[in-house]
Amino acid sequence: MHDAARAALTWSARTLTFALALGLTAASAQSGRQSTLVIGGDFSDLITLDPGVSYEFSGSLIAGNLYDTLVAYEGNDLQTLRPRLATSWKVTPTATGSRITFTLRDAKFSTGRPVTAADVVYSLNRVIALKTPSSFLLTDVANLKVGSVTAPSSRTVVMDLPKTANPNIVLALLTFNVGGVVDSAEAKAHEQNGDYGSGWLKDHSAGSGPFVLNRWDRSAQVALDANPQAFRRSASIRRVILRYMLESSVQQSALNSGEIDVAWDYTPDAFKAAQSNPRLQALRTGTFQLAYLGMNSAKGSPFEDPRVREAVRYAIDQDGIIRSLLQGLGRKTQTIIPIGLAGSNPATPYPYDPAKARALLQAAGKGGGFTVDFLVSTGACSGGVPCQDLAAKIQADLAKVGIKANIRQLVNAELLTAYRAQKAPLIQVGWSPDYPDADGNGTPLSDYNAKSLAWRNAWNNPQASKLAQAAAVETDQAKRAALYKQLTELMVKQGPYAILYQPYKPVVLSVNVAGFNRNANGDVQFEKVSKK
Amino acid sequence: MLIYVLRRLALMVFVLWGVTLAAFVISHALPADPAAAALGNNAREEQLQAFREKNGLDQPLVVQYGLYMGGLLRGDLGTSLRTQNSITADLRQFFPATLELTLGAVLFALVIGLPLGIVAALYHGRLPDLLARLFALLGGATPVYWLAILALGVFHERLGWLPGPGRLDAYSLAPPLHTGLVTVDALLAGDREVLVDALRHLILPGLVLGAFSAALLTRMTRSALLEVLSQDYIRTARAKGLRPGRVIWRHALRNAALPVLTVLGGLFGSLLTGAVLTETIFSWPGIGGYATTSAISLDFPAVVGVTLVAGLAYSIVNLLVDLAYAAFDPRISFS
Repeated sequence: MHDAARAALTWSARTLTFALALGLTAASAQSGRQSTLVIGGDFSDLITLDPGVSYEFSGSLIAGNLYDTLVAYEGNDLQTLRPRLATSWKVTPTATGSRITFTLRDAKFSTGRPVTAADVVYSLNRVIALKTPSSFLLTDVANLKVGSVTAPSSRTVVMDLPKTANPNIVLALLTFNVGGVVDSAEAKAHEQNGDYGSGWLKDHSAGSGPFVLNRWDRSAQVALDANPQAFRRSASIRRVILRYMLESSVQQSALNSGEIDVAWDYTPDAFKAAQSNPRLQALRTGTFQLAYLGMNSAKGSPFEDPRVREAVRYAIDQDGIIRSLLQGLGRKTQTIIPIGLAGSNPATPYPYDPAKARALLQAAGKGGGFTVDFLVSTGACSGGVPCQDLAAKIQADLAKVGIKANIRQLVNAELLTAYRAQKAPLIQVGWSPDYPDADGNGTPLSDYNAKSLAWRNAWNNPQASKLAQAAAVETDQAKRAALYKQLTELMVKQGPYAILYQPYKPVVLSVNVAGFNRNANGDVQFEKVSKK
Repeated sequence: MLIYVLRRLALMVFVLWGVTLAAFVISHALPADPAAAALGNNAREEQLQAFREKNGLDQPLVVQYGLYMGGLLRGDLGTSLRTQNSITADLRQFFPATLELTLGAVLFALVIGLPLGIVAALYHGRLPDLLARLFALLGGATPVYWLAILALGVFHERLGWLPGPGRLDAYSLAPPLHTGLVTVDALLAGDREVLVDALRHLILPGLVLGAFSAALLTRMTRSALLEVLSQDYIRTARAKGLRPGRVIWRHALRNAALPVLTVLGGLFGSLLTGAVLTETIFSWPGIGGYATTSAISLDFPAVVGVTLVAGLAYSIVNLLVDLAYAAFDPRISFS
C-alpha cells in the first residue's frame, strides 16, 4: 500500500521539483537592461501603427516616436510650435484664403532614403484618400483636398487653405500623427489593393523618427529599436518595449520587482502609495480631458430651464470628488476649454452651495425636486476612477438638493449609442480634443450645428454657435482669445454641462529612469529617456 | 470505429452551426451601435455611415447572417470590426497562447491532483486523506484572480523565484513564429534560453489556472479509487499475493480511470475558454483577453469567431475522451 502512495508522490514531487528548478534558474536575458526601457500598461486600444490611420492613445504615443511631423510641440509647452521636419514655415494671405510654405530639413528615413517634399505631399494625400478615422482633420478642419498640398522643390512644401480654415489650427493638427511623414517609396512598394500600404504599415514602420518598429506581438508587446538614421537621435535608449499589462496591481508588482521601468496605468489609490515610496517617482502628468455631466436640454426635459442646469453646477461638490475619489489626481475647472490650451478660462463661478441650488430649483418651479435617469458607463472614468463610484457621489450630491438620479449602468458602446441618439437625460462622460487647440472643444461643445456634444444634449444656442465659428477661423491671437473668453463665459452660465474635473494621468517610474516626460497630449519622446 | 468517428464529426458540424447562430443572434440583440464603438466618442456621422456600409452593418440581420455563413463555408471568419484584421489571422495568433497555458494547467492538475487523490484513497480517513481533502476544498473554493495576484505577489515580487506576467521576459524577444506555441517555437529555433524562459513563465499561470482542476481531480480520483478498492477483484488480486503497487496501478487505477478521464476532458474544454481572468492578470495574450475586448467593443464577427473556435475545441476534446474510453476499457467498443 505504501509503495503505491510513495510512487505517486515521488512522480509528483519530481515534476514539481523540475518546475521549481526552472523557476530558480537566474534570468538569463540580463544583457542590454541599461539601454532598454520597459513600459507596462494597458495598450489594448492599439489597432494600427500606421500614422495616417491610428487615432487611439497608444497608437499616437508610438507613432510619434516612429514618424516625424512637419512641426511639433516640445515637452509640456503645447502652445508654441517648434520645427521638426520643417526648419521654418511662413503663413501668407492669398486671394482665396491663406498659404503655408514649409522649408524642409535634411533628414533621412530609417530606410536610408532622404525625406523629400514629395514624401510629405504623398503622406497627406494618402490620409485624405484612405478616409481614415483621423482624415476629417485634414478634409473637414483643414479643408484640404488632393492637390491642396504641392512640392515646388524637393525641400519646399506649399499648403493652400481656403478662408474657412484657420492656418493656426491647421499647424496645430499637423503635430498629431495624422501629419506623420511616411517613406512614400516604401509605402508604395507594400501597397495592396489600393491601400497605400496601410495593411503593411499596420505593423511595420517607414518613418524618420528616432525609433523603428522591431515587432508588434498583438496583446503581448510592442518593441521599438533606435533608428540610427534619425536626426532626433536616442542618446542612450536602444530599445523600448511596451508590455501589455492591463491590471494596475500587476503593474505595481512588476514595477516593484524591476521587471518594468515605467507603469502607465496606476489607480489613484496605488498612485498615492507610490508617492511615498523612495524607489519610485510618481508623476502627475497633465491631460486635456474633461469629465463632465451632460444635461439633455430638450423641450419638456427638467434641464430645459437654464436655472435647473445652474442648480446642478452648484450642487456638485467638485472639491470632494477631487480630494476623495481622485486622491488629488485632478484639477478643478468649470469652463469648457481645458487648462493648458490658449483660450481656456480659469474662472470657477460655482462654489459648492446646495442652498443656492435649492433656491434656483425653487425659482424654476422645481422646488419639490424631480427624478431623472442617470446614464453611467460600467468601466473606468477619466482619471482612473470607477464610473460607478463617481456616479454614486454625484447621485448623493444631487439628492441633497432634491434631484433623484436613477443610475443606469451601461457598457461604453451602449452608453455612446444612447448619447448619440439624444436619449441621455443625464449622462456622466468625458471628452478630449482631437488636436491641442481650443477649437477641439469649442466647436463640439458649443455649436449645435456641428452635430456633436451640444447636439447630443439637445442644446441649441445660436449665439454660442456664432462665437464658436468665429473663434475657429480667427487668426489674430488676441482677438481669438477675446472670442473664447466670451464663449466660455456664455457656456459656463447657459451650457448643458457641469464640468466635474480635468484629470491628471498618473505615471509611475523607477527612480533610475531620467528624462521621461509625458505631456498633456499623451506624447513621450523616448529618445530623451535614459536609465541610470 | 471509423464510422463512429465520422458520425461524431458530422454531428459536430450541426453543433457548431447552432453555436454560430446563437452567438450571432445574441450579439446582435444588444441595443448599441458597433460603428460608434469602433470609431469612438469623437467620430462624425459621415464616418459612422461609411463604416456601416463598408462592414455591411446597414444590411438587414438576415442578409448579414447569410453573408457571414457564406464566408464561413469558404473558411473565412470575416473581418474584425475593431482591428480590421482577418479574424482567422487573429485567432491563429491568440489561440496557441491559450492552448499552451491550458496544456500547462492540465499538466499541473494531473501532477498534483492525481497523486493526491491516490494517496487520499489509500489513507482513507487518516491524516493524508484529510490534508488532500482540505486541498481539494481550498483549491475548489479559492477565486482564481485572488490566487493569481497572491501567487504573483509572493513568488514573483517578494521571493523573486519566478518571473512575472507575460509569456517571455521583457528583455528577450520571442522566437520566429511557426506554431505560435512559444515553447515549441523556441525548440524549433534551437534557442535554449528562450525555451527555459518560456517554461518559467508558464509555471505560475499554469499552477493558478490548474489549481481548481487539480482540486476537482483529487476529489474525483479519490472517490473513484475508493469505490474500486472495495471491489472483489481487488481483494482477489491481493489474495493472490500481488505486490500492493501492482494492484493499485494495474488493477485499481485502470478501472478508476474512466470517471477521471471524463472530468479531465471537461476540464480541458473549460480551461481553453475559461482562462479569461488568469490571462488578464498574467498579461497572457490568449483568446480570453481577445474575446473580452471584442465583446466590450461590440466586435460581433470576432465574438462569433471565438465562440466557434471554443465550440470546436470543446467538441474535439470530448470526442478524444470518448475514444480514449476504448483504450482504457476493452469492453467499450465503437463498432
